[in-house]
Amino acid sequence: MKGIIPILRLGRTLLATIQTDLRDNVAQAFQEDVLLALESRGTNGLVIDISGLETVDTFVARVLAETGRMAKLMGATTVLVGMRPEVAGTLVRMGYSMEGVQTALNLQEGLALLRASRTRTTSSQRARRH
Amino acid sequence: MDHRKYMRVLKLDESELASRRAFFELTDEDLARLARLRPFAEKYTDAIVEEFYKLLLGHAETKKFFPDPDTIKRVKRSQREYFLGLFTGKCDLAYLEDRLRVGNTHERIGLSTKWYLGAYRKYLQLISEYLFEELKDPAEARAAFASIQKLVYFDTALATDTYLAAKLEAIDRHQAAIRELSTPVIRVHHRILLMPLVGAIDSRRANQVMDSVLLKVTEAQAKCIIIDIAGVPVVDTKVADSLVKTTAAVHLLGAETILTGITAQVARTIVQLGVDISTMHTLSRLAEGIELALSLIGKSIQSTKRAPRRTSKRTVRRG
Repeated sequence: MKGIIPILRLGRTLLATIQTDLRDNVAQAFQEDVLLALESRGTNGLVIDISGLETVDTFVARVLAETGRMAKLMGATTVLVGMRPEVAGTLVRMGYSMEGVQTALNLQEGLALLRASRTRTTSSQRARRH
Repeated sequence: MDHRKYMRVLKLDESELASRRAFFELTDEDLARLARLRPFAEKYTDAIVEEFYKLLLGHAETKKFFPDPDTIKRVKRSQREYFLGLFTGKCDLAYLEDRLRVGNTHERIGLSTKWYLGAYRKYLQLISEYLFEELKDPAEARAAFASIQKLVYFDTALATDTYLAAKLEAIDRHQAAIRELSTPVIRVHHRILLMPLVGAIDSRRANQVMDSVLLKVTEAQAKCIIIDIAGVPVVDTKVADSLVKTTAAVHLLGAETILTGITAQVARTIVQLGVDISTMHTLSRLAEGIELALSLIGKSIQSTKRAPRRTSKRTVRRG
């Protein structure tokens, strides 16, 4: 871990809670930490809680969305949770949409979303095998 | 509403007072002259006030402001005070505050400016008549009248400014009420919200819709918000675009938007305008929207009529 944002492991899910403003180097370090953590076996979900962020500029939004797409390449689904209403409004008004990541209202919903997508994948894999 | 607050609204401080006095050419000399006229004022107050009210009470529309003898007695008394107030030789912030009270009272009782200004004309006429009668030297009377006129116009400006400020404040209050009413959000079911939109949507209201939707979704932690546009007469590119943006923003929060009330006309417009609404759930009727919303949270509406006995009477069941 090089960055200041702690990344916790909950079973097959990684959980990152961002509390501080993401300055350039903090955001880059966060992305690297996440990807390194994903390299370890058995991780297929990533939840990023941004309920502590009062502002999100396009740079941070891009880092988050890119992290999500990178995680996807490594086989993990990313859920962004707890975005504040004013942040959502600003991002959309700037014409920015977070492609490549899923969203949920809060941490609980985010974890439930990951559980649901895991069930879907396993059942479809099973269906394919039959 | 407290008239003192208009001191702030109209920014009446020492420098504003000085600026107003300079423009009305109301000098210390004028004030000193007015103070010297105090005995004259005291002598004629009653006569002037009586004649002044003869005009007000002789006119049907102004008469209704004085419904009973008690009111008339009271206003005459305050009129006498007001009149003598012109001859104190003072024009400071306390004086301003007293004059603001007059404008504020007129606005409160709904006395329009035409009556106020018209009545003031009579006032000046009465004063000038008595003044020229009392003061034998016409030059002196003219100087005295000029000083009175300055202060009277000074007062009139203050009263009308207060009157307008009070009216503007009422308009602001009404606009706030309209804003509030224009984006109502109803809780239809646990974690399902509904925003019925009625009336034309301009860009300002579209912004309000978005802010209100996002705030309410977060507050209620709603899974889904239904926006019903059946009551919106015209859906143009701007409106359609703002709805698409609102949907995108709601998605960022982790919730979903269902757009209902899409009429044939609106559907045609949206397609012809080429607005991409592929990311939205759209339906023609609100009832269908509610059903879809329930299915998103894993519930459904069931009929109890034909349902077998063993199912409970609850119409909404967990799926």
